[in-house]
Amino acid sequence: MMNLYLHSAGIISPVGGNKDADFPATPSADKGRFFCKEPDYTGLIPPMQLRRMSKVVRTGIAASRISMHAAGIEKPDAISIGTAMGCLQDTEVFLTKMVEQEEQMLTPTAFIQSTHNTVSGQIALLCGCNGHNLTFVQRGHSFEHALINAQLYLQDHRGEKMLVGGIDELTDNSYKALSQAGIYSNDTIAGEGAGFFIASDQPNTGRNILLNDLLCFTAKNTEEALKKVEGFIACHSSTVEIDTLIAGRNGDKAMDTFYNRVSSIIAPANEINFKDKCGEYPTASAFAIGLLLSKAADNSAMKHVVMINHFKHYYSCWLLQVV
Amino acid sequence: MVSAAYIANTGIICAIGNDTQACLQSLRDNRHGIGKAKYLKTFWADEIPVAEVKATNEQLAAMTGVNSNWPRTALLSAIAVQEALQPFAEKIKGLRTGFFSANTVGGMDLTEAVYKNIKENIEQVDINNYKSHECGAVTQLVADAFGLDGFVTTISTACSSSANSIMMAAQMIENGMLDVAIAGGADSLSRFTLNGFNTLMILDRQLCQPFDNNRRGLNLGEGAGYILLMSKRAVEQCGASPIATVSGYANANDAYHQTASSPEGIGNKLAMGNAMKKAELQPADINYINLHGTGTANNDSSEGKAVEAIFEENVPMASSTKAYTGHTLGAAAGVEAVFSILSIQHGMVYPNLRWESQMEDVRFTPVTELKEGLDIKHVLSNSFGFGGNCSSLIFSKCS
Repeated sequence: MMNLYLHSAGIISPVGGNKDADFPATPSADKGRFFCKEPDYTGLIPPMQLRRMSKVVRTGIAASRISMHAAGIEKPDAISIGTAMGCLQDTEVFLTKMVEQEEQMLTPTAFIQSTHNTVSGQIALLCGCNGHNLTFVQRGHSFEHALINAQLYLQDHRGEKMLVGGIDELTDNSYKALSQAGIYSNDTIAGEGAGFFIASDQPNTGRNILLNDLLCFTAKNTEEALKKVEGFIACHSSTVEIDTLIAGRNGDKAMDTFYNRVSSIIAPANEINFKDKCGEYPTASAFAIGLLLSKAADNSAMKHVVMINHFKHYYSCWLLQVV
Repeated sequence: MVSAAYIANTGIICAIGNDTQACLQSLRDNRHGIGKAKYLKTFWADEIPVAEVKATNEQLAAMTGVNSNWPRTALLSAIAVQEALQPFAEKIKGLRTGFFSANTVGGMDLTEAVYKNIKENIEQVDINNYKSHECGAVTQLVADAFGLDGFVTTISTACSSSANSIMMAAQMIENGMLDVAIAGGADSLSRFTLNGFNTLMILDRQLCQPFDNNRRGLNLGEGAGYILLMSKRAVEQCGASPIATVSGYANANDAYHQTASSPEGIGNKLAMGNAMKKAELQPADINYINLHGTGTANNDSSEGKAVEAIFEENVPMASSTKAYTGHTLGAAAGVEAVFSILSIQHGMVYPNLRWESQMEDVRFTPVTELKEGLDIKHVLSNSFGFGGNCSSLIFSKCS
């Protein structure tokens, strides 16, 4: 596939946003959950519209705005977004009323904003972007697939700038249901966030992350996953010297064993964890890319980076280059 | 381009039939599938007609041998995937196969039934009722049931969802990233969607009349539609006889309103125009347009104007098949892709059922009677949705 450069991050996360360079803080957990430290939205979203927006919509729109500002563009040529859960808060509002009011006297606002493509649609609406616009909802591969789509699109539209992002929100009810379904182990902190970038086939001025390879797979167990990861690393370690590993450790002891093994295979000079900052959620890899851009800004020792991430049994392996 | 994306087979289930042949027969017989809700338990059953698949969840599950505790969307998806895949299930082994699905409702039909308890007393709720709530979970159930362990994705762009899954699948075949792809989408009815559309006041209390001057709104439907795509190499290896190719596709955004289309159909025009550009076709090359044609005042007016802006005085034969199937939302473009391919295969164009009066703001008249014995080379299929999402696909006859 062609080169895909990611730059101009727009991040809203439990440790803050782009202004909090290098995301130094450790978030404080609220009953096993990390919630986004939301920015002052002045200048990002008109106040009248802000009032009607649920968390995932406002964080998504604000993060996309920050990314576009950083790239110095008013609007992108196209939009590609990943969100596993979509607009939970609005879904719950409509669902609650529908159940409690027994299908009577309902109003449309929450329903309208509950569709999974609400954020990508609202971004297009606010900046007047008539271009290609897609939303991927493939659980722990949602952001990854948005990037694969960016490659497919930019291959046919050279020189264009595509807004890509990963967003998910955490609500009380989703946390209850996901906990019950065994998504979070005892030591895993649930998280949420919005991470946006500009993707293009040419690098931008300043730091870029070049996506060299991206492998997504599901595995029944960590042994099976490890085999695939080993194959991925073997495929690249002869041609590049990997200096940095980004690991999707999420506090789960069983997964630590997996990541320890990955780390010993690569033996990188630097190892970066990120879920201690953003928590565990299906599109957390978007936060990790933002963290890498931030760290690489003042660290020239990071050049060839491998990211291994998982959300439940959804794994992704990334070969990245800081340019 | 490494290879064109050839269409080797189709799979479908909707209100007018449980497989491709049954749907073809209903299309020929002018038999729609809209009526009083029998399977969906809703307050509105007597008042708002819907286009249901005529089977209980248990009956649907029995068609593929999966568990009847799946969300209904997954049950529908499995049936259509099975039909599309079945003749080639053995032959594609060893080929790189992708599964591109789409839906908007996920496992909502199960979640909504127990939601009160999730909020109040989650320990009492059977986890099977919400663990497949996500749209992606529905796709995964079906992927696992058929051993589809390659590239698996789900797209959710409201009513245009499955047009986009077909577009992406075609791109990955064309780029040589996959040999085989099953692409389309599924959606079941749910109280959530029925009530949501009801609050928007765009549901017809009678049988819908798309592109009619007196149209009153849409009827919601349910179903699943998939096409089996293959590269040239896979076609040869599997001994398939492809009917058509996905020759053009485009996705654009109206960027006008979260739920309404712009009066002049900006996104619609872009989608149709760019799809023809991709297919290297001129408007005069299109033989049939399968319209999005939901039956709402807003959609049909915008779409009609956009069609006229592109085709001017020479609008080809055009009809909406939603008067047969209702609007199947995330499945609509998959269902209509199957109808478009049948149009090419059998040289036929379907009537826009129940059409009575010419729209005031649109000059062309949809096809009102079944036409057969035609040479249909290129079909344009439109799908437009909430969030401004507009997609058009072009299917071209294999020469």
